[in-house]
Amino acid sequence: MIEFDNFSFQYREGTEPVLRNISLSIPDGAFVGITGAAGSGKSTLTYAINGIIPHCYPGDFYGAVSVEGYDTVDTSLTDLSRLVGSVCQDIDSQMVSTVVEDEILYGLENFAVPREEIPARVDEALEAMGIADLRERTIDSLSGGQKQKVALASVIALHPRVLVLDEPTAELDPASSVAVFELLARYAREHGTTVIVVEQKIALLSDYADLLVIVDEGQIRFADTPDAVLAHADELLALGVNCPRSTTLMNELAKRGLYAGPTVRNVAQATHALMEVLA
Amino acid sequence: MAKFLEYVPGNSLLHQLNPSVKLVCAVLFAIACFVCSNLVFLLVMLALALTLAIGCGFGRETAGLCKAVFAFSLILAVVILLTTPYGVPLITLPWGFIGTGSLLAALTVVVRLMAAAIPLFLVFYATKMSDITNSAVKQLHVPYKYAFTFTSTVHFIPVFMNDMSAIMEAQTARGVEFDTSNFVKKIRLMVPLCVPLLVSSVRKTNSAAIAAEVRGFNLRTRESGHKDYPIGALDVAALLVCVALLVVAILVAVLA
Repeated sequence: MIEFDNFSFQYREGTEPVLRNISLSIPDGAFVGITGAAGSGKSTLTYAINGIIPHCYPGDFYGAVSVEGYDTVDTSLTDLSRLVGSVCQDIDSQMVSTVVEDEILYGLENFAVPREEIPARVDEALEAMGIADLRERTIDSLSGGQKQKVALASVIALHPRVLVLDEPTAELDPASSVAVFELLARYAREHGTTVIVVEQKIALLSDYADLLVIVDEGQIRFADTPDAVLAHADELLALGVNCPRSTTLMNELAKRGLYAGPTVRNVAQATHALMEVLA
Repeated sequence: MAKFLEYVPGNSLLHQLNPSVKLVCAVLFAIACFVCSNLVFLLVMLALALTLAIGCGFGRETAGLCKAVFAFSLILAVVILLTTPYGVPLITLPWGFIGTGSLLAALTVVVRLMAAAIPLFLVFYATKMSDITNSAVKQLHVPYKYAFTFTSTVHFIPVFMNDMSAIMEAQTARGVEFDTSNFVKKIRLMVPLCVPLLVSSVRKTNSAAIAAEVRGFNLRTRESGHKDYPIGALDVAALLVCVALLVVAILVAVLA
């Protein structure tokens, strides 16, 4: 369980709080999508979970954030990283090795995973991300999508209870983005891992997330199931968050009294709903 | 061709050597080059380094490296030419002269720097960064933080070079004449770009430090490395050759 209790944060060099009065409970095993306009405080919200704030970026920290009962202020960054696996936005900076296998070994070695367990963990992580064939490749020879998968594999090899990902599909094409989310969702289901993803692609988030969080100017405007959040299409647009086109279309039809069904999140659902309306 | 200082996978003689042995051998080779000022000996050392590089399949990388080292050593050579008035005078200067001794000294510096640099750079082309770090920590007893800092610095050199060329390409697209053949003008145009490069470098370094920390960097000990780096007969032979080269260099220097 991840708990935000009336949490506010202002960076030391900042002039006003980046996040204000955040209260949120994330249950174990949930797949949480966080989105919002640029500069709304999405990344800072994830930094509060993995302990990067206040341990790496100091500032004024109000309220409390706890992960699995551990207060993120009182618990060291290293101890928190045993629970929370993080993939940063800048993948190139995150890589510490030259070869894929060594990149996955890095965290396992640091956390003193028993030697006999390491080969199986490396195999499992590579298989889970579908990159077993890249094992011996140099990081520099990989595409953006492949690097993204390597970064994910290097974190899931540590078997974290919580995965925090900051824009994991920023450099990916639509097909690769779906593939990454598919792999993540499957892994989370199989291992009961809580996944928290910051992402601009709301259509993708709404397909995979159990809980969709919309952040605006440092505050949580919506935190609910994707269906419930997407029902507020007009308000989302005013916050700078575009709904999936299929949602916008069906919401417009609903406004004109032509559709009365549940909120639609993707093309398949819209097609199905339209077929029903036309039948 | 590999980017500057980036690992090239392979199975050459250099790839097979123990990482620590490679480092020690490269340092011994460099010391031998600096101990002795005999031009013939240095030319032999340069020939040995080039043979090793070509033999291990790093011909193109070494050619690029030689070009860079040559450009740098040329600056030193010019300074030596102008400030070391030895031998038979060839050109008279207001403050002295350029003589045959000056030419010899300048040539010695160029050959010495190239010969000393090649093996050191070959180590990085033929060894994974993590192997250099882990082996240095396990076998040379270098504290992990220092070893990691060193290899991370080397790791970031091509990253920053890519950033610099990306910034230059963006500026060229806006009409800045980075494609000019005038070297001085090019340098003058590059100076203002140092600030954005510095900002991006600091950001990247900070991200890297955080990324390492959230993956247990502070928990790392000498025993953490999963791989072992045994020292075999080939490693012993390489060490003996380098020690022998150093002994010869000292003898030549003393006898001269």
